[in-house]
Amino acid sequence: MATDQRASVATRPDEFAPTPDNEQTWSTTGEQSWTSSLPMIIAWRVLLVGGFLALWEWLPKVPNIAKHVVFLDPFFISSPSLIAKRLWQVVTGADGTPLIWPPFLFTVVTALIGTAIAIIIGTLGGLLLSNSATLERVLRPIIVALNAVPRIAMVPIVVLLAGSSSRSDIITAVTVVVFLVFYNALEGGRSVPPEMIDNAKVMGAGSWSIMRRVRLPLVLAWVSASIPNAIAFGLVGSVTTEIFSGAQGIGQLLGAAVDTADATLTFTVVVVLTIVGVTLVVGSNILQRRLLPWWNAHL
Amino acid sequence: MTSAQQRWLVRISDVSFTYPNGVQALSGVSLELAEGEVVSVIGPSGCGKSTLVSVLSGLRESTGSVVWNRDVLRELDGSGRRPFSVVFQRNTVMPWLNVEKNIAFGLRYLKLSRQDIRQRVNSLLETGGLVDFRRAYPHELSGGMERRVALLTGVATLPKLLILDEPFSALDEPTRVSLHRELLVLLREYGMSALLITHDLGEAVSLSNRVCVFSNRPARLSSVVDIKLPPDRDVEKIRATDEYQDGYRELWESLWQQINARV
Repeated sequence: MATDQRASVATRPDEFAPTPDNEQTWSTTGEQSWTSSLPMIIAWRVLLVGGFLALWEWLPKVPNIAKHVVFLDPFFISSPSLIAKRLWQVVTGADGTPLIWPPFLFTVVTALIGTAIAIIIGTLGGLLLSNSATLERVLRPIIVALNAVPRIAMVPIVVLLAGSSSRSDIITAVTVVVFLVFYNALEGGRSVPPEMIDNAKVMGAGSWSIMRRVRLPLVLAWVSASIPNAIAFGLVGSVTTEIFSGAQGIGQLLGAAVDTADATLTFTVVVVLTIVGVTLVVGSNILQRRLLPWWNAHL
Repeated sequence: MTSAQQRWLVRISDVSFTYPNGVQALSGVSLELAEGEVVSVIGPSGCGKSTLVSVLSGLRESTGSVVWNRDVLRELDGSGRRPFSVVFQRNTVMPWLNVEKNIAFGLRYLKLSRQDIRQRVNSLLETGGLVDFRRAYPHELSGGMERRVALLTGVATLPKLLILDEPFSALDEPTRVSLHRELLVLLREYGMSALLITHDLGEAVSLSNRVCVFSNRPARLSSVVDIKLPPDRDVEKIRATDEYQDGYRELWESLWQQINARV
């Protein structure tokens, strides 16, 4: 049987052969405007961020402006140059400044442990419920009610129960992240086309096999899409708990900075958290593209 | 309806089916399929043709009976073959599996050894002209190739009866005809019968020994048209023959009668 040539990835050399002068040609790929080229996109980003930082740096220095606009008072908003200097100090320990690494590692590790636990629980829960209509009907209202509980408001109770330790961070991260992952996993399991399930049944697959071989791949794909948000939420959970509990970690540092009205340190910690969040999110996106190449093409 | 040489394969007797919402899809449908036969089912849109596939494949419970020939089932026992498999209209090729893994999907349930699975998949890839695409994922294939993978996945379990539920309806005409030819090759090569659900009269005539025309919903068997084309027909050349034209005309008249009956 002949192979369907349309799927061939090789381009025939004559497709782009020169045409006679009297024939009009045009690009089939569409000419990219210079304003939407990658260097221009990067230039726009640099301009936007640089412009914002320049305004932040120089606007508060306009004479008497802080008297009229409280948000431009350097006492409250510090300045990018001071934040950069403090960042250098906390990262290198220059000028005898305490290093940020111990609290940083504590927060990142607890957030990641909590997120990982939540991903496992959420994935299994979503997978099981998507595979059983009865189980879903029984548990759905309970899950909806639990999801409606404001988890951050529960942090003081968590701290009381688990103490001022890494356990509180982890528990909060789990409770904040688990529903996000669960709902993604549930939708992933439900998104399997009915024909695919019927086909598997006809071939002899039982309920367990359908769950493992048909639903699970889509559940994992949907869960992987939620991981960047899960990581960000996990960090929020851990940091918030540390602010409440006073346990070591970035949150405790942040609490201390706020207590001493140290705007520069506060923004320095925020910058560190942003860098951590972005790094983890980019890392998870790269991992997703490597592990699930079909999913990105499927979208 | 089967000839003396052909063993009957499955008997559908007086099958009726009503959906939970009260819509009756099938009403007293009776049909018999024999070994080596290709039978098509056509009928007005939404009449219940696909419901027949669900009932026949055991996905829905109906009244009446679907009886498989016990001798055939006994022969299949432990042979690494299934009595039937279904090629659905769409959405059966799994996007996370490459071509060879998709084709091998159903073989795991036949308790075949890894070597047997590999052998069978290789042979099917060869027959289907997909050897060079064995590691390709569905999103890297054209529509025609994706349908070919679905077809080979259905054929992989070497069923006695291949049930096809409008499998080529989304394809362009040349690709469809090319797949018709491939389907007939596969049926001959692996000794399979086929039940084809289609809305394409040309497809029904090209591929079948006989065509069952269903009435409007609830579907009843309103007429049967015998197609007088040889089993080893060349689907690309038969369209100009009198037998094809006669079969097409007869089918059209039967179907039109059903459509008019609804109006």
